Amino acid sequence: MAEFFSTYGSLIVSMVLGALLGLSLYLPLMAGQLSLASPGFYALGGYIAAILSTTVFKNNSDLFPIHLLLLEMLIAGVVSGLLGIAIGIPALRLRGIYLAIATIAFVEVLRVLSLNWEITGGAVGIFAIPQPFQTQIEYLWVALPLLLISMVLFYRLERVRIGRAFTAIREDELAAGAMGINPTYYKVLAFTLGAILAGIVGAVSAHFLNTWNARQGTFDASIIYLTFVLIGGSRTFLGSVVGGMVFTALPEVLRGLADTGGFPVWLAQFLRDGRLIIFGLLIVIGTIFFPQGLITPEIFRVGKAKNRERREQ
Amino acid sequence: MSQTIATDKQQAILTANSLTRRFGGLVAVNNVSFTVNQHEIFGLIGPNGAGKTTLFNLITALIPLSSGELIYKGQEISQLRSHQIASLGIARTFQNIRLFGELSALENVIIARHLHTNSSIVTGVLGLPPAPQEESKNRQKALELLEMVGLSDRAAEKSRNFAYGDQRRLEIARALALEPQILLLDEPAAGMNPSEKAQLSDFIRNIRDRFNLTIIIIEHHVPLVMGLCDRIAVLDFGQLIALGEPSVIRNDPAVIEAYLGNE
Repeated sequence: MAEFFSTYGSLIVSMVLGALLGLSLYLPLMAGQLSLASPGFYALGGYIAAILSTTVFKNNSDLFPIHLLLLEMLIAGVVSGLLGIAIGIPALRLRGIYLAIATIAFVEVLRVLSLNWEITGGAVGIFAIPQPFQTQIEYLWVALPLLLISMVLFYRLERVRIGRAFTAIREDELAAGAMGINPTYYKVLAFTLGAILAGIVGAVSAHFLNTWNARQGTFDASIIYLTFVLIGGSRTFLGSVVGGMVFTALPEVLRGLADTGGFPVWLAQFLRDGRLIIFGLLIVIGTIFFPQGLITPEIFRVGKAKNRERREQ
Repeated sequence: MSQTIATDKQQAILTANSLTRRFGGLVAVNNVSFTVNQHEIFGLIGPNGAGKTTLFNLITALIPLSSGELIYKGQEISQLRSHQIASLGIARTFQNIRLFGELSALENVIIARHLHTNSSIVTGVLGLPPAPQEESKNRQKALELLEMVGLSDRAAEKSRNFAYGDQRRLEIARALALEPQILLLDEPAAGMNPSEKAQLSDFIRNIRDRFNLTIIIIEHHVPLVMGLCDRIAVLDFGQLIALGEPSVIRNDPAVIEAYLGNE
């Protein structure tokens, strides 16, 4: 058991963080906004944690205190939220593909800034970020509650006024306005909540990965998170969770598969390194054959129907 | 132009002053002025392309005015956005039906309870009072409205699966969920057979009385309009060519030439 966790601990934590990043992209999508801005806020949150823990919170004790990690997560969330509002209000005037382009540009601007600033360590980035835990798997103490709390909040969100406002805007923004829903307010809200979540995950990830640099917040990451949501299921939050976990594990599974041998060299190489091509193919196949993704809201209804049947018997 | 003067008993609820809307060189609505009185059923008729739906879109701020002013209960509303107009009590249905297709009939109506739900994001998500009570109250009201339009047995069905006439009735239920003071109906009888049209007429009178509404209705079916409306405005090429009671409009030569034809 201990061996399993030491081998796969890192992967399990990555899967949980992947699920959270999927959720951060799912939020603006609930309101019908295709935003690819999550990696930007993820990078921002990571830099905040990296900079704070290596300077202001610098600590000579063995392990980095957890309460400081939580404080970093809070600060990352607040800063991401404020930036989210600042970017969201102008950007969300754009629709569809133009909004997506604007958010891609935002991620790129942050990336280039981080490459050229001294405080972010330039091209080298920041390394030797202190660890609050002895082993990788112990990061679950932070990541797992974060995921579980998020899932509960999402479950509730989809069932109350604000979730319905998001859905209405996604279905028909004009009609939603005519029903008294302020589209700008709710679109910016969805965008900002996604930004806050991505920022908090970034803060945890900076410690988890030990180093942080401009490669953490790139356009490639947007495509990967988009795969989580589109293939996992774009109509319910569970889709992003399952998609995030499955597709974070997928490259490792493929690598394991390639390593077992029996494949021609080129195929093994493709399985190991062709992850972006594979993700791209999955997005194309998924949108054709599974437009709503693998996990659909019907799953909830099937569960309810089965319960009702059982009760009536 | 025939026009009746409002009596002292009737109070204006919506006043349009010289509304104009240009799309480039095309003047879709040209200097249109009228007053709608409280609790009346006000008809808006005219040939296709006369500017009737554009007029609705101007009133509900889906598009901005090029010039003119709109006064609702003494307040100038032409600078407001559509959700603000809805919050003041003006609700509408759409000529091309704009239901939330992927959602069930019940969900469509509950969404329109948005303005009458006061719980904040925090109380809503955490399930703290008054949120749960409001949720069940809204659900109850939505079911009542669905029952009123005869769709309560299909509350959980996806709204895009409904027949055309049923979709129109669902849109009316949704608009009523706003608890409006003015209801704008854009061709509610389109796609209905004669018996459904007759039921619709009675239905509109019922909801006007029951909910104390003022109703403005765009309709092509002339007998329905003549039988239902207290006053009728006639648009042609964006201009108001007549305004008055049905008996007067029916005999107006300009209206006959432009729209009614010789009967």
